[in-house]
Amino acid sequence: MWLPGQGRSRFGFTVNYQFDWEPILESRALILEGLATTILLSLCALALASIIGVIVGTLASSRHKGARLGAAAIVELTRNIPLLIHMYIWYVGLAFLRLPPFLCGVLGLSVYSGAYVAEIVRAGIASVPDGQNKAALATGLTRLQALLLVVYPQALRIVAPSLGNVFSQLIKDSSLASAIAVMELTYQASAIEGQTFRTFEIYITICALYLLLVSAVTLALRLLAGPRDDAPAQELASA
Amino acid sequence: MSKPIIILEDVSKSYGAVPVLRGCSTAVSRGEVVVVCGPSGSGKSTLLQCINGLEPYQSGSILVEGVEVGAKKTDLPRLRTRIGMVFQHFELYPHMTALENVVLAQVHALRRSRKEAEARGRRLLDRVGLASKADTRPGKLSGGQQQRIAIARALALDPQAMLLDEPTSALDPEMITEVLDVLIELADEGMTMMVVTHEMGFARRVADRVIFMDQGEIIEDSPTKTFFSAPVSQRAKLFLSKILSH
Amino acid sequence: MPDVISQNMPFLLQGLVTTLRIAALTAIGGTLLGLAVGVAVQLRLPFVAGLLRVYIEFVRGTPLLVMLFICYFALPALMGLHVTAEQATVLGFVLFIAAYIAEDVRSGLRSIGSGLVRAALATGLTRLQSLRLIIVPLALRRIIPALFNQYVRLLKFTSVASVIGVQEFTGSAMLVNARVFAPVSILIFVALTYLILCLLLSSVGRVLHAYLAA
Ligand SMILES: Nc1ncnc2c1ncn2[C@@H]1O[C@H](COP(=O)(O)OP(=O)(O)OP(=O)(O)O)[C@@H](O)[C@H]1O
Ligand SMILES: [Mg+2]
Repeated sequence: MWLPGQGRSRFGFTVNYQFDWEPILESRALILEGLATTILLSLCALALASIIGVIVGTLASSRHKGARLGAAAIVELTRNIPLLIHMYIWYVGLAFLRLPPFLCGVLGLSVYSGAYVAEIVRAGIASVPDGQNKAALATGLTRLQALLLVVYPQALRIVAPSLGNVFSQLIKDSSLASAIAVMELTYQASAIEGQTFRTFEIYITICALYLLLVSAVTLALRLLAGPRDDAPAQELASA
Repeated sequence: MSKPIIILEDVSKSYGAVPVLRGCSTAVSRGEVVVVCGPSGSGKSTLLQCINGLEPYQSGSILVEGVEVGAKKTDLPRLRTRIGMVFQHFELYPHMTALENVVLAQVHALRRSRKEAEARGRRLLDRVGLASKADTRPGKLSGGQQQRIAIARALALDPQAMLLDEPTSALDPEMITEVLDVLIELADEGMTMMVVTHEMGFARRVADRVIFMDQGEIIEDSPTKTFFSAPVSQRAKLFLSKILSH
Repeated sequence: MPDVISQNMPFLLQGLVTTLRIAALTAIGGTLLGLAVGVAVQLRLPFVAGLLRVYIEFVRGTPLLVMLFICYFALPALMGLHVTAEQATVLGFVLFIAAYIAEDVRSGLRSIGSGLVRAALATGLTRLQSLRLIIVPLALRRIIPALFNQYVRLLKFTSVASVIGVQEFTGSAMLVNARVFAPVSILIFVALTYLILCLLLSSVGRVLHAYLAA
């Protein structure tokens, strides 16, 4: 294996840890199961968080003061409460609903991340010049059409990197679902660690897997946003 | 002249406590070309945007083809397809090609088939001399080319009138003519137009009337000849002398 | 206030104190480490900068909980040490947040134009002096908002420590709940407390930023 089995560390104290990757390989079924759950959990939460974020973020850029204040209140309320508490609210606080842990995880994760998506959506809409909206309306598009066809696509290009950050964060945050008994990657890692005591190997393994997932999302968003060859129209004109 | 397409009666508007339009009244008949001028901040852009329902007004009435723009039940998207609008900064959609820019509202507002819309779009791009740029994005085009595409976008809806807000003031001098040529051609074909511009040569050539605004008021509304030869108001005289002196 | 809360207040407060202690320690440790790492990477110190980049990328790709597990279970096992849950938490959080702060520090440093650096050098300051006296203080002032963002994150993170058995605020509250079972009032109380603390912390950041900018 690529890590040294034993030896003196550069810092001078003896490392007695014996690396043994065999048990990890043997537990690969559990790891893959956990990975699948993490992916599913993240995808569901990602979809729901996007929906919440687009709705709240659009309200936050509304012309109506009431809508703006309401949206701001929702954002501040949800993102200033720890994610773990969000999960407990669904799993413990609303226990009488008897929601399965997975669903509690999805809901907690979506509401929490939705607040961050909303902030990004709001900033994205604000970054599209007002003239674009006016031009779209002037050609007879409805408000909704102007948003969907003209404003959102431009906003998405601008916010794709920040959106990528929030989605990567979401994937990493999904590990907290292990605290409410969702058998995702971190949960399975703890379980395997408890059985095999291959502490270091198992955590390194799942770190690599998380890194893989995060990179995949970042890449996907970069592709989705497309090449940025369409610098704002004014640039050339005013140049 | 036939019956007016656009009628404004005693229109007033303010942003908060700041009055921007005060008791503006005028009418634009079919086939008429009206040039609107006046110092910066006099409310010219606001006037055009009110006519298209892009800005609300507090009192008075604006009728477009007999429909009250400010009425709650007015179908604004439909009304706006009847009127083409061209902006100072073009406002082409940067994420779409020139053709897509011209096609979008045809498909989504007028519900034309994509095929029909594209055919019409290509004809219009050809007409403004940009058939070869159909698949180019606005960011790669010059200001003059962008503005001509914006005009094609407005024409694609077969509007009954056009509102143009300083269509050449963001352009480098050498590009102004290419845009004005398109507008002159439109005027010659009988398109009804309201053009905010300080291109007085253009005004003399195509305008039937000139409206002069100052501080939210329509100070003068006269036939072009009268406006240039014998402006009634002192303020218009001053404005003209400033603008024609260079 | 519901009885379950008032009756268990001393216990809950004790948890809150632990939470605040962990948050304060990690904020200080994380800021110092993040500052050092950020400056070192931005200065492209030979060898060190590369290693630190690996550290930053590793941490930013790792979930916080996994980071805690590594500090609580893996590192001690690797080195044959024993650490308490709270020590592991502080270590994990410091290592975690420092990687993020380091990135903020770097972008803060980058935002300072080379003109200013040249001006500082032109007045006869050495590179290190101009860094210490002018560039870093200026960059710090600029990154106050980002820094306080990280502190708010940190404050929320502390709740995760309950998963490895630290009896901070969330942990204590869940213990109380296990005893008296009143999840709704307890969670509302906990959520509101975090909300108020986080809002307070971000307004301190805003005030400080406004004050320093003036
Ligand atoms: N969204 C707004 N909120 C508040 N005031 C505004 C707004 N838009 C315009 N104004 C004000 O309304 C007045 C008229 O503006 P308008 O843009 O209609 O003038 P204009 O004649 O088109 O000027 P310009 O020649 O500079 O384009 C100005 O005093 C302007 O400051
Ligand atoms: Mg204007």
